[in-house]
Amino acid sequence: MKQIQKYFPLIPVFAAYLIMFFLGENMEGIWQLMSMLLFYCALGQAFNVFMGMTGYVDFGYVAFLGVGTYGMALSITRLVQYEFLGAWIIVIGFGLAMVMSTLLSMAVGAVALRLRGAYFAIATIGVNEGFRFLIEGARIWNGSEGMIFTADLNKVLGRDTAAALCTYWADIMVLVIAALAAFVTLVYMRSKIGYALTALREDEDAAKVMGINVTKFKIIAFITSACFAGLLGATAWALKTPYVFPPEVFEIHYTIEAIIIVMLGGAGTLLGPVVGGLVYGISKYYLSIFLPGFQLLIFAPIILVIIVLFPEGIVGMMKAKTKGTGVERFIV
Amino acid sequence: MFFEQLGGNLLQGVVLGAVYGMATMGLSLIFGVLKVVNVGHGAFIMVGAFLTLFLFSSLGINPLIAIPVAFMVGMGLGLIFYYTTIRKLIKAPELATLLATFSIGVLLEELIKLIFGSEFRGYNWVVGKLDLGITVLPLSKLYACIGSVLIAVLLYLWFKKTRAGSAVRSVVEDSEGARVCGINVGGAYALSFSLGIGLTVASGVLLTMFIPVGINPYMGGGYTLKAFVIAVLGGLSSPYGAFFGGLVFGLIENGSYTLFAYIPGVEPFALTRFLSFVILLVILLIRPTGILSAK
Amino acid sequence: MALLQLENVSKRFGGLVAVNQVSLEIDPGEFVGIVGPNGSGKTTLFNVISGVFYPEEGTVMFEGRDITRLPPFKRAPLGIGRTFQIPRPFASATVRENIAVGAMFGTQGHRLSVDGSLEVADEIIKRVDLAAHRDKAAGTLTPVEKKLMEIARALAMKPKLLLMDEAMAGMHPNDIDQMVAFIKRVADEENIAIVAMVEHIMRAVVGLAEKVIVLHQGSKIVDAPTKEALENPRVVEVYLGHAPEDSAC
Repeated sequence: MKQIQKYFPLIPVFAAYLIMFFLGENMEGIWQLMSMLLFYCALGQAFNVFMGMTGYVDFGYVAFLGVGTYGMALSITRLVQYEFLGAWIIVIGFGLAMVMSTLLSMAVGAVALRLRGAYFAIATIGVNEGFRFLIEGARIWNGSEGMIFTADLNKVLGRDTAAALCTYWADIMVLVIAALAAFVTLVYMRSKIGYALTALREDEDAAKVMGINVTKFKIIAFITSACFAGLLGATAWALKTPYVFPPEVFEIHYTIEAIIIVMLGGAGTLLGPVVGGLVYGISKYYLSIFLPGFQLLIFAPIILVIIVLFPEGIVGMMKAKTKGTGVERFIV
Repeated sequence: MFFEQLGGNLLQGVVLGAVYGMATMGLSLIFGVLKVVNVGHGAFIMVGAFLTLFLFSSLGINPLIAIPVAFMVGMGLGLIFYYTTIRKLIKAPELATLLATFSIGVLLEELIKLIFGSEFRGYNWVVGKLDLGITVLPLSKLYACIGSVLIAVLLYLWFKKTRAGSAVRSVVEDSEGARVCGINVGGAYALSFSLGIGLTVASGVLLTMFIPVGINPYMGGGYTLKAFVIAVLGGLSSPYGAFFGGLVFGLIENGSYTLFAYIPGVEPFALTRFLSFVILLVILLIRPTGILSAK
Repeated sequence: MALLQLENVSKRFGGLVAVNQVSLEIDPGEFVGIVGPNGSGKTTLFNVISGVFYPEEGTVMFEGRDITRLPPFKRAPLGIGRTFQIPRPFASATVRENIAVGAMFGTQGHRLSVDGSLEVADEIIKRVDLAAHRDKAAGTLTPVEKKLMEIARALAMKPKLLLMDEAMAGMHPNDIDQMVAFIKRVADEENIAIVAMVEHIMRAVVGLAEKVIVLHQGSKIVDAPTKEALENPRVVEVYLGHAPEDSAC
């Protein structure tokens, strides 16, 4: 029984996701909103595995989403000629997305993760731009023209399935990724990995002296976070809108949004990205009706206030309030 | 023919490099004194650029006059941000100041976008050109280069000769020792931060001489990356290192652009920007404290 | 065989020689005091032993194994534990979790699970009497409680050698006596060698240390059983600051 209790914190997370799913399914016209909220939750969960748990910030994070998008795009466009593969092309696409984001994170990590805090941030600030300009500069994968693969996707799956994928199943996969990322986060938190990450986040030098190989654990968190980002890009970007265009998929503003979601919700907590994703997503949705494009202008000062006054975020504050009560074990 | 073109481009590179260097001095100053990395660096350059645009297009004011105006505006912004945010985060984990300066950058971008809109703009300040044979150098760029060198020299003199400058230097050496000697360390921090921002905004004015139509709220990002490459080249804490790093970077940037143009099937502009990122990683790998620094 | 053996260790920072040709031996279970004022090289010596710095010259041997260039995180599982003068807790984690980290990555780490480590932590918490604070965030403890937790965390590693960095600085003399007696008792039970670093020869260390090593400007000037060291005229004149008759031994 004790073992199962360890996983209780997932209950509010999965409940939130399921509620979003049911609302989207059953209420007229809000599937769009739910799919956006699920995307932000997934983005937050994935980003939290690294930034929240290690305390390091990767400013080039969107590069992993972009690379994942390319992974799916490449699978579809290059394998479409092998008709026997059928829908497996999508599965291969996910696999390729994971492989490519793992490779990129290993390449970046090999340099960046040896560096401390500020230098790490500096090293990562150019990753998304750098990779984008590599693709455009060396004209890899169609360079700056990008790829459009609606036709290929139709060929692989047939028109109707492809349409269903773009409007429905891609979003379900985002939900799955969000749930998976939350699950992995909790597994890490409850294992030696989580303890090591907390230690190195709080005091890296003391952690080393206690026997923790900080670089190894940073790499684990970094690659995990990158993989989820790759999978997310593969579905939320490549499958929902079957084209990939370098300036769009390497746009720094997704990293900004990820930072907002994680800090708002509570960095390093399990429930934080869900709360952050919901608050940010809903705000952005309603703002777009009255004041489109204003969400960053409004959230930038909010994040400043949070950093200075409430660095533990919404869930961090909730944890403090519920300490010693029965609810404690659900708010992690 | 090739060498003429290369030579011409390299000369242009040095001219631009001086401005790049000056633009990075603020970044290095802030890191050197406060150990804070101003991730929003580019946004302040952008503010300087828009200030120049506004003064020139709406008020007909000569960009050279915009320089001290921009510097004052920058110092004002620096003081505001220091006292409202940065000061409280000096003792916090590094993540806090990184995210804070980043968010300040985002805030500035969005504010400027609100006021001016997100289209690309430019202005035309025609003052003539200098024909040097291998290349033609617009006088505006030459003025920008001279202005940068002048500002760098002024900063050097300020550090060496003034009381405030010496106080700041001693804080860099040993902040506790400085405090014990009666130096107002908090004041030194505030001064250094605002000075750094002032320099950065002023550099925005100079950089507009090089971008005829490229002024837009999101132009800062590219400059932030370049600034980091330069700062790391020259030693992240040393403003003078930054200046020379800028010269080196200007040379590399223009040199590589010329060379890439000769390789078929690639886009030289994009590849040059990729190269600067690679340089950053290589330096961080070998010598994070800076290739040109004294250590 | 000596537990820890330093041979002709020298560490320089630019032109400054922080540690100058220091050799010493610590036997299993020994309680040794390293004495010397600020600038004598004690902290650097500790940092060399725990792996924060690598020496330019000389070797560091632990249980016969050359660890001179071994990274710090690899020394902990071998059995080298360390506390810091100003405690460095993992502030947002609970006391229990902090101490468990010690167990998880220490000498027994390879065979302890997370739950096993938490159990070890619970045991130690009872022994050091921190049970009242078990689930509090470590950052909220008082300085004395933090010191206690720091030591508990190091003990959770089940070390063979514990480097204690001015652990008693700034504590009330009664607390010091209690703390040191407790440490000595645990050390005897678990056969841990303790190297305590102090700025002056303190009554507590003097009472329990079998051997005293005195450093002066990076070099070792005395390495002798405590009683002898205290009577050494050089030590008396430079470091005691009071006549030997006044010391509490």
